[in-house]
Amino acid sequence: METPGSIDVTEAAAALTVVRRSRARVAWSGYPAWYWLASGTGLGVGAGGTLLPDWWGMVIAAAVVVALIRVAVAASRARGVCEGWVRGAMTWRDGLVLYGPAAVVILATAVVSRSVSWSPWLPVLAAVLVFLLFTIAGLTLSARAARQ
Amino acid sequence: MNAPRDTQLNEIEEEDIEKAATAAEDGFDHLIHAPARLRICATLDPVREIEFSALLTLLDLSKSALSKHISALVDAGYVTQRRAVRDTRQRVWLRLTATGRSAYRGHVAALHRIVGHI
Repeated sequence: METPGSIDVTEAAAALTVVRRSRARVAWSGYPAWYWLASGTGLGVGAGGTLLPDWWGMVIAAAVVVALIRVAVAASRARGVCEGWVRGAMTWRDGLVLYGPAAVVILATAVVSRSVSWSPWLPVLAAVLVFLLFTIAGLTLSARAARQ
Repeated sequence: MNAPRDTQLNEIEEEDIEKAATAAEDGFDHLIHAPARLRICATLDPVREIEFSALLTLLDLSKSALSKHISALVDAGYVTQRRAVRDTRQRVWLRLTATGRSAYRGHVAALHRIVGHI
């Protein structure tokens, strides 16, 4: 098929593949390992903290948000990529893969904490699970993007 | 080792710049369509700005090839450069201009139309 730009369907499809790959590469590449470890720790602590009784949850959540912002800024400088706060290079699907499992754990533990009597193990379990799920997903996807 | 990469320099022709100046009405942009420049624009589009050395690593191009392609995009008004000093070293940050972003997105939309996704 001749096009106004003088390229055929195959070339256009190849160009779109290049576009997708470039976007995926900038979304995931260049993150230092400490970013995933620090962010996973922050999210884990935040997830566990929200299950603590009284006002502890609020204090911990606020501290975690500040820490996560500082980590994100430091990682952005280390990568040499400034994504901005509103939109980034990750697609909604990337975000779902990265944050989805951790979000499910946070919601599930929140539901469980309301239906059973409070146990000190519940925040710990939530924190460990969120840390593992987020950190493993981040490190794996980042390493895969670097190989492509 | 950089010799094969430098062959990409040949892609930059005066003709490309002239074609870009009169981008097709359907959004297809000949300046952006060159493989290396398409990758540059696709990398710059979803971010606010990116450091030259980071772009170099992401695209796996030689420094000279990337500089030439960036110059072509700057000349067309698609990319701007900002110099900033960090850790006593001067770094160059690159970003798509509003015109560049619009041209890139128009080009991608044109590619989708050709493939038949739209």
